[in-house]
Amino acid sequence: MTVPSNGGSRFVSRARRLALPGAAIAALTFLSSCAKDAPQDTFQPKGDNARNIDKLQRTPFYIAGAVFVVVFAVVMFCVFKFRDRGQKIPKQTHGKPALEIALTIVPALILVGIGIPTVKTLFMLAKTSDTQCVINVTGQQWWWEYDYPVQEGCGGITEPIVTSGEIVFPAKMNVLLKITSRDVIHSFWIPALNGKRDAVPGRVQTLRMEADHPGIYAGQCTEFCGLSHAYMRMDAVALDAAGFETWKTNQLAAYESPADGTAAKTGESTFLTQCSRCHQVNGLVNANGDPVISRPDQYVYSGAAPNLTNLMTRYDFAGASFDLITDDCRDKLWSAQPADFSALYLQGVTPECFDPVNLREWLRNAPGKKPMYADPAKLGPTDGKTRGMPNLNLTEDQIDQIISYLTERK
Amino acid sequence: MAIAERPSPVLARSGGTVLVTPSSSLGVFRRPVSSTGWRSWVFTVDHKKLGIMYGVAAFTFFIIGGCEALLIRLQLAAGSNKVLSAEAYNQMFTMHATTMVFLFVMPMAAAFANYLLPLQIGARDVAFPRINAFGFWCFLAGGVFLNTSWFLGGGPDTGWFAYAPNTSVAFSPTHGVDFWALGLQITGIASLTGAINLIVTVLNMRAPGMSLMKMPVFSWMILVVQFLLLFAIPVITVALFLLTFQRDFGAAFFSVDKGADPLLWQHLFWIFGHPEVYILILPSFGIVSEVLPVFSRKPLFGYKFVVFSGAAIGFLGWGVWAHHMFASGLGPVSVAVFSVATMAIALPTGVKIVNWTMTLWGGKLRFTTAMMFAIGLIIEFTIGGLSGVTHSVSPSDTQQTDTYYVVAHFHYVLFGGAVFGLFAGFYYWWPKVFGKMLSERIGKWNFWLMVIGMNLTFGPMHILGLQGQPRRMQIWTEFRAGDGFFNGAFWNLVSSIGAFILALGIFAFIVNVFLTYKKGEVTPGDPWDARSLEWMTDSPPKEHNFDSIPTVHALDEFFHRKYVEDEETGDLTLVTTYAEIMAEMEAKGDKNIHLPSPSYWPIVLALGLPIIAYGIIFNRLLSVFGAAVVLFAIFGWSLEPSVADASDYDPPVDGDNGESTKELATLG
Repeated sequence: MTVPSNGGSRFVSRARRLALPGAAIAALTFLSSCAKDAPQDTFQPKGDNARNIDKLQRTPFYIAGAVFVVVFAVVMFCVFKFRDRGQKIPKQTHGKPALEIALTIVPALILVGIGIPTVKTLFMLAKTSDTQCVINVTGQQWWWEYDYPVQEGCGGITEPIVTSGEIVFPAKMNVLLKITSRDVIHSFWIPALNGKRDAVPGRVQTLRMEADHPGIYAGQCTEFCGLSHAYMRMDAVALDAAGFETWKTNQLAAYESPADGTAAKTGESTFLTQCSRCHQVNGLVNANGDPVISRPDQYVYSGAAPNLTNLMTRYDFAGASFDLITDDCRDKLWSAQPADFSALYLQGVTPECFDPVNLREWLRNAPGKKPMYADPAKLGPTDGKTRGMPNLNLTEDQIDQIISYLTERK
Repeated sequence: MAIAERPSPVLARSGGTVLVTPSSSLGVFRRPVSSTGWRSWVFTVDHKKLGIMYGVAAFTFFIIGGCEALLIRLQLAAGSNKVLSAEAYNQMFTMHATTMVFLFVMPMAAAFANYLLPLQIGARDVAFPRINAFGFWCFLAGGVFLNTSWFLGGGPDTGWFAYAPNTSVAFSPTHGVDFWALGLQITGIASLTGAINLIVTVLNMRAPGMSLMKMPVFSWMILVVQFLLLFAIPVITVALFLLTFQRDFGAAFFSVDKGADPLLWQHLFWIFGHPEVYILILPSFGIVSEVLPVFSRKPLFGYKFVVFSGAAIGFLGWGVWAHHMFASGLGPVSVAVFSVATMAIALPTGVKIVNWTMTLWGGKLRFTTAMMFAIGLIIEFTIGGLSGVTHSVSPSDTQQTDTYYVVAHFHYVLFGGAVFGLFAGFYYWWPKVFGKMLSERIGKWNFWLMVIGMNLTFGPMHILGLQGQPRRMQIWTEFRAGDGFFNGAFWNLVSSIGAFILALGIFAFIVNVFLTYKKGEVTPGDPWDARSLEWMTDSPPKEHNFDSIPTVHALDEFFHRKYVEDEETGDLTLVTTYAEIMAEMEAKGDKNIHLPSPSYWPIVLALGLPIIAYGIIFNRLLSVFGAAVVLFAIFGWSLEPSVADASDYDPPVDGDNGESTKELATLG
């Protein structure tokens, strides 16, 4: 037999009638019940750009699900209906061009239906003319630096701000990221706010970002960038307008040297000898009263190290890989309601929340905690410069002093 | 082309095993003539022996790549496992992909192509037999060379895509990337020479009457793949040379501080890399297009549509490379173009799914293991194809690219598609190649373990990716894995368990091969009631393939010789049996058959290449020596006469009346 018998086609159309809603329900359950707490879920947009993507991506997912159910049903139908039960060898037919052409035109029309909104969304996401705030984002092995150039945008920035780990910006504002890299290709990705954009050395690429509400949104470098790729994360922090003003003021506050006689004061001099070669603390002066300018380009291959002026306004370090706060405090911060979030975030790392374990392990042996290229014997190809932070062989006393010093960097 | 004239083996066959003993020795310069023993394999130019060697070598690399995959899944079974260090993990996923793509699927497709293509088109060998042997040895030399990096300072650690500038010496200071670039360069020679060889074979050596539109679909797909290789391999060759010069000779093609644009590498790599995907999948499409009709006992539905959609994929495949770069920052206009082109390629692919399904429709289905793998391919590949369509929506791809969703997608395409197709081919053609039937009972275990294993391994990766787990990360954190049914920790564990079930399925295949070798049932003449020419000869085929070259009258020639169809009712009547057809072909057997003579030069030439490559990495003097070997071999090859000397065969048969001075052998 060649033509599908009536019984066959009835079966199929019945299967199809059941399959389509079945698939839709299955897909809906699948998509809507995605874990509520996965911070990098790609189906839970928290801003305009990600929402535009989300609106676009759902239809193809549903269609794909439905097509699969149909194909699966038809193949299974054939498997059960046409198995060899001793029937005679079927007529040697070679196909039906009309059917083939029909089954090419239908998907072609579906694809046109998907293609038009795709192109529309694409250009929408590429728009840069309506953005109100520019933040420069620079990737390097294996952390992100954010700097806020002087501008009228972002509510006005009078002095450049440099930070890392957490990119802070005002909620409900169209932010334009200008992304580049100092070494290899990285990719900037905050799933709740927008898709990825690669950070390519020698190029500056743009990415829009907007968050509906104050909150903290997780991200991860998504272009393989060498040894410690897994430890290159980032968080995006949206604050309400007033909160963002406070944050800017905090970042630009004058340097306060620790009180004389405290462990932190000893820590300042330890920091000067051990850390300030690479890590900038704005306002720090040496014994002669001269400003201390770090020169990471002489020690680190990518030429930069995180600015630690306001370390304790952030909640993690080393490529947002390790927390500075206890798990409880972190959970509180991440689950804070939008209305409360800005105030909570601006408290910074409080003494109650501070958990020095990660920081201590890091100072004891950084490459032991996060894989990095710091073995002096292997630095020939980089002219003796490290990629990442080396083990400084600090004593336990020095580590305590530095931690005391750093806890005051708010 | 080396062609030695020999007396008809039809006559020789009656005497039993053919033995060759050289009577005089001229040292290594004496041409090899062995037809038994290891020499008969190492110096062979027979497409069938080379096909088997391709298969054995590729399967060995499959096991190696599979073990690498198992280590990766062990590491990822829990968030911060310590099975592999970051260094080892990066090397592992780089080599897993490189091995599976370049050292397993491509050469395994070459194994099928080498063995079956000449048989399917009714030829006695490929057009350039010595170049065929050279290709195999290049592949093996390149593959082994690449894997020696494990013992010489560490494997490549930049991912199989090797994005610049992460491949520069400063960022990847071990020799791994050098091994990678040079090893793939050598295997590339295999692909390129193989492509030219098979294209010439198909275009020139088809049996009389076999027009291109009467050629089996497998041969068609192999032809399309060879054209893809012919144009894609030169691109990666250029890219790999740039990389080698960047790393080993101080060039600055990818040095950003000297003004280079790292996206150059991405364009070159993916202009090769995307056609490469079709190079991997089309042979398997060809295989199932043979298997489904045989076990449905119907011709392939819409033969012309399948052939033209294959060719269409071959063309469109060149216009979609930048869909791997949607996040690279190409600008919206380029992205829009590549987005739409990618959607378009879904159409010819969909045509194939429809045609395979319609081949089943109304058939008389026999569920042999080969058939089950073929049906498995339709289902699993459909999943991979559909997730591919979701990628073509470029804004949504910027969410999914470089997450596990992509890993799920291409494993459904490459494992559920390419590898299932190859396994269908194993079960379908094993009796042809080795003369023994693989056990169907173990075959069912093999199939179901692989189906369950692959869906458990790769299915959860859809969830993991949509939950935002990026690829190529040695660790993942519980904190970012989420809670509830879709939490990443659970599905990572499921995926790892699935990987071991999958491995069990592959193990079942190995057991099957072993038991079949020990006590398998000998292939009956025509075990599957097959349709195409490769079944119209012995199993395994004689060295000269066919006693007489058949004249082809129809697509599915063999089937139409066996059966006659009633014009009105469509009823089929068996008119001739396999045995009768074989007897007739033997009776009409050709008197003198041209067959190529074995040669030393392909393997010598191929082995010179890794010596050059080791030299580039470790000591340039070694390169000079390697180059000398290569030159010596080229010289020897070009001076080698196209026919073996009479004295090479021993002893000449008396009363041969000068008709065949190049006597093959004495009889038993």
